[in-house]
Amino acid sequence: MSERTARRASAAAAALGAAISAYLLYVRQAGGTLVCSTGGCETVQSSEYAEVLGLPVAALGLVGFLGLLLTALARGEWARLSQATLALTALAFSIYLLYIQVAVIDAICQWCLATELLTLAIVALGLVRLRLGDVDPR
Amino acid sequence: MTGLQRYAVVLGAAAALAAVLIGASQVGSGAAETPVLEPAGGSESLFAGIEQHGGALGSPKAPVTLVEYADLQCPYCAQWSRETLPVLVDEYVATGKLRIVFLGLAFIGADSDKALRTAIAAGQDDHLWDVVHGLYASQGAENSGWVTDDLVGSIAAGVPGLDGEKLLVARWEDTVGPELEHAADAATRAGVHGTPAFQLGPTGGRLELVDVTSLGPEGIVPAIEALLAR
Repeated sequence: MSERTARRASAAAAALGAAISAYLLYVRQAGGTLVCSTGGCETVQSSEYAEVLGLPVAALGLVGFLGLLLTALARGEWARLSQATLALTALAFSIYLLYIQVAVIDAICQWCLATELLTLAIVALGLVRLRLGDVDPR
Repeated sequence: MTGLQRYAVVLGAAAALAAVLIGASQVGSGAAETPVLEPAGGSESLFAGIEQHGGALGSPKAPVTLVEYADLQCPYCAQWSRETLPVLVDEYVATGKLRIVFLGLAFIGADSDKALRTAIAAGQDDHLWDVVHGLYASQGAENSGWVTDDLVGSIAAGVPGLDGEKLLVARWEDTVGPELEHAADAATRAGVHGTPAFQLGPTGGRLELVDVTSLGPEGIVPAIEALLAR
């Protein structure tokens, strides 16, 4: 895989993650009901873990994915370092949120799972970029 | 920067940022401080000696009426029931100042409908609030089938004068449907888009949607006090 391919795939995954986060944030703010096949979305979204210091986790996710999108679109060493750092941060927080869903809330939100998988993909792609950066600087 | 140094910087920065986020989440959730609801059927003392008529709790002559729109599977509604309802009952309903009307909605799913039907059927025997409180206390994961006959039976067993077997049958009778529709229509007219939602006003007068900023008593008590002061 070339650095360019990793960059494009990262951007696509980040854009999808941003769209999911925006949907979750919109439903939360508008007071609607989430489309949900796992049966736990409403429980997760209305739990006390759906906010961090008063800020909806969906908003954090939106900002995070938009940041990942920017770092994926940008070129250069700083963009690669920023993407890897941001993606690893998001992955660690995703693992924590997954633990909260399974062990504390006892409910699984399909949208959260999707963003967690996208984050995992972006981490892998970010590490590929980091490794290939110097040998494939397009 | 060497390759190894780059990975070290990335990992270190990510670990620090993630620790801050997780720490903030733990602090903000206050999970360890969450009080436990009373077990099902343990609501007798909360509503003891207080009039219930269908979905209404408190004296019809109370000067102020609060309408609560809620889905019995909504965790925020359970939180309000746990943190604020006891305060309102003790300080305002029991003293004849406030009447609370429960209008249930069932938008989360099948268990919402089953739970709401059970509560409405209990309301036909003037025990809706006991059942609502019992259901909130036993609230399970949404649409997991937690509104079992055994649960309904155990809640009813804790409410003097409520027949659990009769309740299980009554919730599917034709008399329940119109009450479901009445609540849904009222919510639409009021402009309710999520739960819990509240309307407040003088009893018999115009009720207004309340912009509740907190699920604790401080979110609704000032509005009640303002109406009582008029």
